[in-house]
Amino acid sequence: MIKKDLVNEKKWENALTKKLMHHENSSILFVLLLVIALVVLAEFFLARGMVFKDLAFLSSRNISSVLQQVSITGILAIGMTLVMLMGGIDLSVGQLMGFIGVLMASLIKAGNLPMWSIVLIGMSTAIVCELLMGLIISRTKLESFIVSLGFMSIYQGFIYLITNGREISIGDKFEFIGKTSINITSNFKIFSSVILYVLLTVIVWLAIKYTKFGRRLYFVGGNENSAFLAGIGVKNFKLWVYGLNGFFVSIASMIMISRLSTGGPNMGQGKEIDVIASVVVGGTAMSGGKGNVWGALIGVILLGCISNALNILGVNPYYQYVMKGGLIVLSVFIGYYSGLRKKSKTRLNQRSIA
Amino acid sequence: MQSETILEMDGISKSFPGVKVFDNLCFDVRKGEVHCICGENGAGKSTLIKILSGAHMPDSGTIRIDGRVVENNTPHLAMGLGVQTIYQEHNLFPLLSVYENLFAGNEYTKGGLLRKSEMVQKTSEILAFLNSDISPFDIVGQLGSGEQKTVEVARAFIKESKVIILDEPTASFSQAEIKNLLHIVKKLSSEGISIIYISHHLEEVFEIADRVTVIRDGMKINTYNIKDLDECTLINDMVGRDVCSFFNREKVDIGGIKFEATDFSGNGVSNVSFVVREGELVGFSGMVGAGRSELAELLFGVKKADTGSIKIDGKDVRIDSPIDAILNGMCFITEDRQSTGLSLQHSILSNSNIAMYSKDNKRFVKPSDDLRVAQKYCKSMNVVSPTVHQKVSLLSGGNQQKVVLAKWFATNGSIYIFDEPTRGIDIGAKEEIYKIMTQLLKEGKSIIMISSDMPELIAMSDRVLVMRKGRLVADIPKDEMTEENILKFSIGGGSDD
Repeated sequence: MIKKDLVNEKKWENALTKKLMHHENSSILFVLLLVIALVVLAEFFLARGMVFKDLAFLSSRNISSVLQQVSITGILAIGMTLVMLMGGIDLSVGQLMGFIGVLMASLIKAGNLPMWSIVLIGMSTAIVCELLMGLIISRTKLESFIVSLGFMSIYQGFIYLITNGREISIGDKFEFIGKTSINITSNFKIFSSVILYVLLTVIVWLAIKYTKFGRRLYFVGGNENSAFLAGIGVKNFKLWVYGLNGFFVSIASMIMISRLSTGGPNMGQGKEIDVIASVVVGGTAMSGGKGNVWGALIGVILLGCISNALNILGVNPYYQYVMKGGLIVLSVFIGYYSGLRKKSKTRLNQRSIA
Repeated sequence: MQSETILEMDGISKSFPGVKVFDNLCFDVRKGEVHCICGENGAGKSTLIKILSGAHMPDSGTIRIDGRVVENNTPHLAMGLGVQTIYQEHNLFPLLSVYENLFAGNEYTKGGLLRKSEMVQKTSEILAFLNSDISPFDIVGQLGSGEQKTVEVARAFIKESKVIILDEPTASFSQAEIKNLLHIVKKLSSEGISIIYISHHLEEVFEIADRVTVIRDGMKINTYNIKDLDECTLINDMVGRDVCSFFNREKVDIGGIKFEATDFSGNGVSNVSFVVREGELVGFSGMVGAGRSELAELLFGVKKADTGSIKIDGKDVRIDSPIDAILNGMCFITEDRQSTGLSLQHSILSNSNIAMYSKDNKRFVKPSDDLRVAQKYCKSMNVVSPTVHQKVSLLSGGNQQKVVLAKWFATNGSIYIFDEPTRGIDIGAKEEIYKIMTQLLKEGKSIIMISSDMPELIAMSDRVLVMRKGRLVADIPKDEMTEENILKFSIGGGSDD
């Protein structure tokens, strides 16, 4: 009896260590430790009265502002997760968001179209842009990396053409999506964008779990040839995933201009790095077929916390770029390393006869 | 003929997990001879070459090159000792010119600068020696298949090789190209270079060989001087297995015509027509590259056919893509389960459900249903795994193959195309798969089985169709099915078109 328990315990223990060494968990664990360290550090400095009191990391005001800040990156990360699950990547999301943002801002400023039609124009433009890119990527063997890099530059051009490099102020004409909030206490507010983000995450999670689309997403990312033979129209499938990504980009850009009350030319700059970093830290594999939206959610929140904590610590903001880049490399490295250990164990099983 | 031994393998054993490829193999090559190695698909020819060239390490035994014992052989070491291997696939830099390819890695330099004119000069000399009209400046990627092979031979020649290994060099060659290559081989051997030549084409073997070694199931059967050998002995030696000990299939009643393919061409296949009846297993035999897998791709809509039509249950059907094929009840168990059958990083569960999704138009899935399907087939096929959530990459070859089968059984198809159903699978799992196939036949389903495993073909098939160079060349009924008979048609038995 005792012996049996021991065996069970051992099994359980093995399962736990295995789970922890699993790619997604190991990189998240690592980032989590980093956040805790930073928070402790921030609170430590705070206790010595070195930083402004009301910016304290764990204050309710700070938490609600972190949540609001990450919702844009988060919504982009949902779309990116879908694209990366199927084995692609989209570097153009940041600039596309900026482009859609300034397009809508300029239409709002002109003021001769009803708001619903502007929203519709914004959404459909984003989706059409992504579909166009998806068409090229799915119909040819071109790398999504390089195609989306090209589109990134194209959108940047559009942004400057629309704005002439100046910000377009829209005042309070478009506040609903980014500025309304439920006030739980005077300091703790839940913004509509946060609610929208969580809602979209839940919907996508359910869709991935309970629809054929979701199940197939993993399979296309896992092995395209096999997916094709199993009766999946891989080309059109990829096309629609990019289109869907366009939808998420358009939502993100609406929140952006609503929150800032302007459409600025540099709004989306570098956003793709934040998004890809969050998705990768959240455990989604660059090679496709592995990951989920909850991982992306955790990645987004963790990265948001880190940059917030660095702000509180008064670290030069330029260091944040170094930090973010380092984090991507490190989390991919950890994933590679834990994958390597597993592989060396199973290589014997996999080797087949030539 | 000189009799000095240049290369010697003694007592070589090699096994891969679960399979013993070689047991105590001895083999030697003399200076300046052309030594052919013959054997069926999977007899171990390629492994033998890989051991010689250093790509695989033998488990035991010694290799002696030029009298020197070679330990810890690596591709680099083997090349340094003068053993050059020319593999079946081209191994060149297609965007570079001929002379650049010849000297890649061994450039003539002076003070760090390339001595281009000397290299070009040398290249021209070698090409002239090989009777080739290729220019040193031709871009390799734009040359034909035969010319590229010539470039590879020239490259081996430049490295002052003692032994050149040619693995199936003529697989995609025209008659003229074959003739030219054989001429080159003779020329090299007259220069004192030994050639190990591997080919399925017996006519080539009889034209150039000095000696022939036959390998079967990882054993050397015999080495002959070519003058002591005739075609009949050679085929017998290649085949000669105890067929009786093999799997004994139950008889199943054969019904009416289920599947009818008419006049299929394209993708390396020309004018193939055949029928399969209910409860019938039609075997496809032929050498590698005879167009069998290519035909399967056409039937299943993976590749577009130039011509060809399919009737199922007497009705015309249009199959333009795998989706159409699946909707019409077809299933395709591909040759390579790792690259086209499974998504290795995913679980048994998701792999076994994926094809079923293409059967209906429902948008939603019920995870509990998916689980039930996966568990049902895992149980009925005896997949050895703790749970259905196990990644398929962690399963053995036999269990992986069962997951592929589960994927297709879940679609409830009625026409199954098996491409090499038991490749790389141990004998126990093989039998289980044969039983599963027999069960399918009992249920009145039709099976098209492509196989290079002769005993398997003979034991399982109701009829064997033989393909050669993209054409159907024979339809062999059960009572005339012998290995000799099938092999004779597959390799053309001396006659050529």
